[in-house]
Amino acid sequence: MRYAFYPGCVAKGGCPELYPAAIKVAEKLGIELFEMKDVGCTGAGVLSREVSDPINARTLAKAEAMGLPIMTICSTCQGCLMQANHRLVIDPEYRAKINREYLAEEGLEYRGTTDVKHFLWVLDEDYGLDKLQEMVVNPLEELNVAAFYGCYLRRPPEVVVPKGKESRKVSLENAIKALGGNVVATKGKGKCCGFPILYPNERNSLEMCGTHTLEAKDKGADAMVTPCPLCHLELDGTQSRAEQHKGKKINLPVLHLPQLVGLALGFSPKEMEMQRHLVSTAPVEEKAKRKAEV
Amino acid sequence: MQVNLNVRRYDPVSNGNGSRQTYSVEVEEQSTVLDVLIQVRDEQDATLSFRGSCRTGFCGDCTMRVNGKAKWACRMPVSKAQVDGEITLDPPRLVKGLKDLVYDQEEFLFDKYAATKPWIEPSPPGPTEEHIVSQEKIKELQEASSCTLCGMCDEGCTVLIIDKSFLGPAALTRAFKPVADPRDKVIERRLSELSEKRGMWDCVHCFEATEHCPKGIDPTDRILSLRDEAIKRGIGTPRVVRHNDSFAKSIKSSGWLDEARLAIESEGLTNIGGLMHLVPTAAKAMAHRKAPLPYLHKKRPGSKHIKRIFEKWEKDSK
Repeated sequence: MRYAFYPGCVAKGGCPELYPAAIKVAEKLGIELFEMKDVGCTGAGVLSREVSDPINARTLAKAEAMGLPIMTICSTCQGCLMQANHRLVIDPEYRAKINREYLAEEGLEYRGTTDVKHFLWVLDEDYGLDKLQEMVVNPLEELNVAAFYGCYLRRPPEVVVPKGKESRKVSLENAIKALGGNVVATKGKGKCCGFPILYPNERNSLEMCGTHTLEAKDKGADAMVTPCPLCHLELDGTQSRAEQHKGKKINLPVLHLPQLVGLALGFSPKEMEMQRHLVSTAPVEEKAKRKAEV
Repeated sequence: MQVNLNVRRYDPVSNGNGSRQTYSVEVEEQSTVLDVLIQVRDEQDATLSFRGSCRTGFCGDCTMRVNGKAKWACRMPVSKAQVDGEITLDPPRLVKGLKDLVYDQEEFLFDKYAATKPWIEPSPPGPTEEHIVSQEKIKELQEASSCTLCGMCDEGCTVLIIDKSFLGPAALTRAFKPVADPRDKVIERRLSELSEKRGMWDCVHCFEATEHCPKGIDPTDRILSLRDEAIKRGIGTPRVVRHNDSFAKSIKSSGWLDEARLAIESEGLTNIGGLMHLVPTAAKAMAHRKAPLPYLHKKRPGSKHIKRIFEKWEKDSK
């Protein structure tokens, strides 16, 4: 299993724990990653699509030249690349224009054949959750985990969840189960975390963060797991401000998906760099460790 | 088949707090939820109030919550809607109820539509010759025009549920039309007004609106198109403009995002209060070795090509 690896900006920036965790976990699972180092940011829904589409076309063209599908570890990168890919694939005239006006000068051409997959989908669809379960040495049996997908792994449905890929709607819960954990069902699992409006409207953003983390906490979650580092920046990074906003203590550890997989594969919390989180992950470490010691 | 229709009843005069009533009905297998409501009104209870016009899945007048989820009642087969023989019906969640399933469209939908001034304004004193609009443009405008103001996108909106003052996807989709119409000559004014508090920059682009739209209009895409236009023209609240500019500068110069720089520049380099606001989270992140240091940001190997793409786009946008 080989992929052109697109780690994204945040996995090496605001969430520097994500990149090494993903690399270690992929290596342990035998997933070969060829990192794309000379490509640009997807635009993250902030840049105008008029400029992010050519930048993403360049990334897609480079993966096409490598002859590999892209693997992402960020719901937002996944969504932006996938939506740009959708526009480029369904409209050959648009693709030809981008090729002609932006890529030709570099000798690149995108033919529209690159597949883009998040690590979660790679586990579910390519690697197989049964096989993942066989690799587990430290089942997370005592851990109650709430899933939090990030918008871009769920919508728009015709792009993200095409026919035949319906398992994507529950893939995160299925991954938690494969790792031995207990799923805590929440209403907020597919909603927005609030990160996109942290700058324009902090109050609304903190309201969303507080609502989702409190819901998970109230339903008995020991932790939340997310495949999106931007959701992590919000749910972990602004959780203390959301506590002030809500007037309630929350204190819910939020894990990146590769970290949760890593714990079940036998990596230590330190190897997964969980000490970098702003909300202490001690309760998770305690439950995961206890099992490992048995 | 037999179904129990569990309906929220409400009458501001006699039943101010609302209550629930269950109607037991024998219905045809192929009936829709709207068919059953009409049957109940005709056969059992003439006081039951709901909206429903075309009955053929076109107009969206019968928007209501079927088992908690917003649906068009005329597009919902009873066989699919029933759970253990029961269907619960409520008005949309964000609106003021008028009676039973009838809700106030003025306050929630039409006032917000009107606030976006959704009509074409040519430059004064008006056109001197016929406007020719390309077929391609007309097609784009027609797609947006097929909105029937059903409010389903607002029902799905993640922001409206916590902040009713947000303009919402329905009104913003309507606002897209004159901005995209080449006959309109006040685009910059429109984009400035749509940038005001509770406007387009409060959208989280979660694509819930797109998922909810029964017409396939893609309201989230329309909002993003409005924002793309505004970004190109440097329009937004000062905070939004600072954020967008810093983001673009970072990608243009290095290929990827300098997040710490983005946080500082979004607040504003001379905004002492704003910068102080960042300090507690930044200090905590530094202590956890989580935050990258601002401006010490290395260029990606292919950054000259990203810069070239940016420069070409900027030149072509002018």
